[in-house]
Amino acid sequence: MIEAEIAPRPARIGLATVTLRLSDAAGQPVRQARIALEADMSHPGMRPEFGEAREVAAGCYQGRLAFTMAGDWVVLMRVTLPGGQKLERQMEVNGVR
Amino acid sequence: MSAESSAFDLLKVPLIGRLFRWRHARTFLQIPMLVVGIVMIVHGLCGPTLAPKNLATTLSWVHFRGALVLMLLCAGNLFCMACPFMLVRQWARRLFRPRFIWPRKLRNKWLSAALFALILFVYELFDLWSSPWWTAWLIVAYFAAILVIDGFFKHAVFCKFVCPIGQFNFVASTLSPLEVKVRDEGVCVPCITKDCIRGRRDAAGLVVIQRGCELALFQPGKSGNMDCTFCLECVQACPHDNVGILSRPPASELMTDPRRSGIGYFSRRPDIAALALVFTFGALLNAFGMVSPVYALERWLARALHTGHEAPVLGSIFVLSLIVEPVLMLGLAAWLTRVWAGSRRATLPLIVRYAYGLVPLGFGMWLAHYSFHFLTGFLTLIPVTQNAVASLGTPLLGEPLWTLTGIPTRFVQPLELGFLVLGLTGSLLVTYRLTQDEDTPHPARAFIPWAAICLLLWVAAVWLIFQPMEMRATFMG
Repeated sequence: MIEAEIAPRPARIGLATVTLRLSDAAGQPVRQARIALEADMSHPGMRPEFGEAREVAAGCYQGRLAFTMAGDWVVLMRVTLPGGQKLERQMEVNGVR
Repeated sequence: MSAESSAFDLLKVPLIGRLFRWRHARTFLQIPMLVVGIVMIVHGLCGPTLAPKNLATTLSWVHFRGALVLMLLCAGNLFCMACPFMLVRQWARRLFRPRFIWPRKLRNKWLSAALFALILFVYELFDLWSSPWWTAWLIVAYFAAILVIDGFFKHAVFCKFVCPIGQFNFVASTLSPLEVKVRDEGVCVPCITKDCIRGRRDAAGLVVIQRGCELALFQPGKSGNMDCTFCLECVQACPHDNVGILSRPPASELMTDPRRSGIGYFSRRPDIAALALVFTFGALLNAFGMVSPVYALERWLARALHTGHEAPVLGSIFVLSLIVEPVLMLGLAAWLTRVWAGSRRATLPLIVRYAYGLVPLGFGMWLAHYSFHFLTGFLTLIPVTQNAVASLGTPLLGEPLWTLTGIPTRFVQPLELGFLVLGLTGSLLVTYRLTQDEDTPHPARAFIPWAAICLLLWVAAVWLIFQPMEMRATFMG
């Protein structure tokens, strides 16, 4: 299971912190995963922002992303589990000011 | 006596001229556009749901619009020439022959002006720029509409009376430097076959071997680019090789009011004037939908209307911007022209006459807006295409280079301002010329209220391009 949140809320132009909590079917934290972050605007033609989330506690990962302009953003989280399995999640961050 | 125009003629340019004179030039340009259109539909429906990663949204809302306005500025209505919808319609007409004549009541621009406004409304309401799926369906709907309308009705009804993109191109191309035009008017005087409008049939008179103008523009009487799709049928049809793509001063056709073949007098066409106003005020409205203050206005309107739905709020903004605002502004200017400048024209004919003066300003705003997206994001086509190819299984074009975008905003903004200055200059020039042609005791006094409108709209446009852009698809969120 992947739980994701972003701070600050409401999101503002500038750096934002993305926090992810990974757990397996038994509810145990998933460690040593690799997580790539990407933020895209809802409008095409804009440069995406990239980042990486690192493990800060057991199963808890944090990374930073820059929202470079106001508007609606979509944050993509690409998770590669220790076994090589890949997961992708998407989080909408609307109304960045 | 004959006197061939000394203007630059694109058809006489080596290679390019030869290409455009080629009988199959239009099909040659349409086929790649059709292929791109099909790719956009497929990718829009089956590809990534995220707009910046999808070819349908990227090509439609970044590249097509930007390239369109720049092409109109630098050359002419070449996008109508390469229109892929027309190619499909041509193929369909081999199977189904249209039988009906377009109703007389609809032979004007009222419907197309309304559709143009509707497209702008739908774009905002459904946030088309952020939805590959809706964008793909819009393209499909376009193909369907043209097949149905031109399947039933003779001639190029869809182009002339329905197509909102075509109407945009027609109005904008009044500012283009190129025009499909007779080279030597003297050559047309003794012409009795009039192939440029009638076309040519075989010896038995049964089979059309060369079409004439489907939009009812008779070359010797044609003046300007309005309604011209650059299909170049007239170039092919003229047995005297007397039609070229000639240079002319941009906006010159807005300054005069001759009787135009297939159109009549601009000053007697309130429908075309309404289209010109939707074009101009729609340019500001479309840009307004992308900046921060629109959300404050939406929230205020939602509270005032006691609604949480976007449609009535957006509808109110559209009515205010496309109907109330132009009527008030132009009505006041017309009233001043009558009372202060002594014009003998009635209010509505004055509004119709001077509405065309706003077109350069509107085009300046469209240029500023669309060229911004195009220039700041034109390289995004590369990673989006790489990603689309990679999604087929093999990254033949390499891994997507997502960091590619375009020219930095700080370099594009001065260009935007330049387009707006160009638009204002054009509008003031056209308006000045219109006042000189008016039968008014005080032409200078007639100029002032219309120039004031141009200035007011220009200030609004400059204010808009310097607002922080806020690309949002959410309403009041």
